[in-house]
Amino acid sequence: MNGASTGRKSLPIDPNTHEPLPPVRQPGYYPGYSTLAQQTFWDAKTRSVILHRVNHTPPIRFFDSEQAALMKAVCDRIIPQDDRDPAYRIPIVNYIDERLHEDKIDGFRYENMPADRDVYRLGLQAIDMLAQDRGGLRFVNLDARRQDEVLKSIHDGNAPAAQEIWNHMSIQRFWKGLVSDCASAYYSHPWAWDEIGFGGPAYPRGYMRLEGGEPEPWEVDEVRYEWQTPPDSLSDVYEPAGGDSEQKGHPGQGGTH
Amino acid sequence: MRRFRDTDEVDYCIVGVGSAGGVLLQRLSRAGFQVVGIEAGPFWDTERDWVSDEKGSHQLYWTDLRITGGEHPLSLGENNSGKGVGGGSVHWAAFAPRFHPSDFRVYTEDGVGADWPISYDDLKPYYELLEREIPIAGPAYFPWGDPHGYPYGPHPMGGVGNSLIRGCTKLGIRVSAGGPVAILSGSRGDRPHCIYRGFCIQGCKVGAKASTLITHVPNALESGGEVRDCSMASRIELGPDRRVKGVHYFDREGREHFQKAKAVIVSGYAIETPRLLLNSACPGFSAGLANSSGTLGRYLMAQAGNVILGRFDHLVRLYKAPPAHAMTEEFYETDPKRGFARGFAIQTVGPLPIAFAKQMMVAKGAWGWGMRRVMMDYNHWSSIAVLGEILPWADNRVELASETDQFGIPVAKVTFNLHDNDKKLIEFGKNKVMEVMWAAGAEDVVQEDRYAHLVGASRMGSDPETSVVDRFGRTHDIANLFVCDGSVLPTQGSANPGLTIQALAARTADYLISQGDRIFNSNSRDMTPPPVRYNLSPPGTFWKGMPRMT
Repeated sequence: MNGASTGRKSLPIDPNTHEPLPPVRQPGYYPGYSTLAQQTFWDAKTRSVILHRVNHTPPIRFFDSEQAALMKAVCDRIIPQDDRDPAYRIPIVNYIDERLHEDKIDGFRYENMPADRDVYRLGLQAIDMLAQDRGGLRFVNLDARRQDEVLKSIHDGNAPAAQEIWNHMSIQRFWKGLVSDCASAYYSHPWAWDEIGFGGPAYPRGYMRLEGGEPEPWEVDEVRYEWQTPPDSLSDVYEPAGGDSEQKGHPGQGGTH
Repeated sequence: MRRFRDTDEVDYCIVGVGSAGGVLLQRLSRAGFQVVGIEAGPFWDTERDWVSDEKGSHQLYWTDLRITGGEHPLSLGENNSGKGVGGGSVHWAAFAPRFHPSDFRVYTEDGVGADWPISYDDLKPYYELLEREIPIAGPAYFPWGDPHGYPYGPHPMGGVGNSLIRGCTKLGIRVSAGGPVAILSGSRGDRPHCIYRGFCIQGCKVGAKASTLITHVPNALESGGEVRDCSMASRIELGPDRRVKGVHYFDREGREHFQKAKAVIVSGYAIETPRLLLNSACPGFSAGLANSSGTLGRYLMAQAGNVILGRFDHLVRLYKAPPAHAMTEEFYETDPKRGFARGFAIQTVGPLPIAFAKQMMVAKGAWGWGMRRVMMDYNHWSSIAVLGEILPWADNRVELASETDQFGIPVAKVTFNLHDNDKKLIEFGKNKVMEVMWAAGAEDVVQEDRYAHLVGASRMGSDPETSVVDRFGRTHDIANLFVCDGSVLPTQGSANPGLTIQALAARTADYLISQGDRIFNSNSRDMTPPPVRYNLSPPGTFWKGMPRMT
């Protein structure tokens, strides 16, 4: 199947009916939960930052139009949102573009990696090289399964068709940087917090019920439902990323201790 | 706030107003010296500047460029490097244990690492002082190392703490529940108690978690000290008399200044301190200022910080409660039967959604629908970490890279490699923590390699050929140049370094105070230990309410 990824749906399946689950405003196990509904209990600075994030999707300024379309297709597989109502999808590519436009880095660069902006330029080239090799088409024109195959080959560290790119940067670090950036963009958004049942900003109100996973009065108890991954997807498998095992160490993450 | 002019020759210029710099600024100002602290980052207004949000908190960290390499390259930035008044004490999780007596004589006892030029007993009075001043909350009886209690009571448990306790109890491992953490469990003065919101690492807007920004800097200013923020030190100037003259720095507009000082204390932490001294190389010190030993930048240490994550059938909601709220040091000391020297602690951690997603990416290889699925289960997961004593190695180091920063100053290049003892220790430690997580009842247990903290690279020692500073933090080479921060640690134990860094700063201050004008007028080095000063704590912070030990 051909066609730009924006037109197609790749929906999770209800295991009881074997029918695709229609997209909803808020997937996840916390029906009716809303962190944004709690904003009067946030401090002014936090409220202003979060509302700005939600209400102002940054324009694309770093990627050119082809790169932006490719990035969008990539983000749509790395953090798929087909189960979300189109009006409630988080604009991941815009947040990544903003970081690159502002040249905001995590505070370090691995010695075998180029600067972040070049990582993306080279990485997007690699993805299209792999798409041509695997499906004879540009990534944006591949079907979902082929797209997942391309991305999985990078995850696995086994993508020789783009070796001339991997000669300039670590395939494993590229993958981890890409997934990190996508996850950061998604899980910094209140709609994603609602999806996973995270409490949100929490100052100055804090929490009272610390034990037993109990909800605050304004939180919501979990209501689980079963869902199967869309059949054309390869990403519901948990295998550690492959790649250059001589170098361990992982991209910038918040301190823990 | 009092403001000195660059042309005023202040008594002390402190580079870096973080954990050590904040305490030094307070002590020396209170003792009557003229002191200015130069800080690269901002002087925070916590209400106006800080955001109760993961993504909105990048400004707290050192996000300027550094290069990282070696076989096991360290993540820097938000992983371990602060910027702004308070430094690392703004973003620390605030575990505040002491080092053990054995930490000061690792070489003598285990034949590895190095001995400190001081003993635990030299530092003990300063642990006691800082535990009251900060203050630290924890159990009345903390059994490991030199047993002691805490002036504020232990915190309530969160979901992660309960899983640590359950797992440890099943395996017969003792646990410290509720601390020791630099977080108020009850209000003190203008500081409210903790509200258990779990954003410690993003900066405590409440004021319950201590940082020198709120514990020591205010009294420093009241005592006549100055904090000069958004000022990036670029070079320390050495005079023809082989004494430092002051500090070159760039102000917030990028203009260059030179602050004259009778003595300079470098408190920039394990990367910026050696970087500044290396960048201050000059005739007579071509390998870096105060680096005749060649050890500047070397013996850098990070602790093993592997995070073990476990999924439970019941909800945990790990985002509630401070990430740091329970720990055990049962495995801290060397046990020869294990086949490696030294040991590790086990501590709760509390990854918020973005941090947790990155951990799932690494630990489970999650992406795509797999990431969406595991993240929908966020509230089912608990997270416990190893804190392991990686030893000091000469090839783990900070050097200058060829790249320069926005001021034209060569940036730091950090190289890190695990050695044999480290690998065995990490393997044992992570397996032990996984065992605890299984014993707690988790049904899916995964782990992520990582590291925590960063110390060494300007180590203290008695021998000028193998160390940079003496037992009081004075550089062996230059009589009026001192280093006082995490970079002076010769070994790191399995304890979070923050409390030890602040205690060392208070001890260094007592030494400088007891030496008085000799620091400014003489090159002779009096090695008499200073009397411990009990009257220099910020007002209202030193009192007698400690639990009995017997």
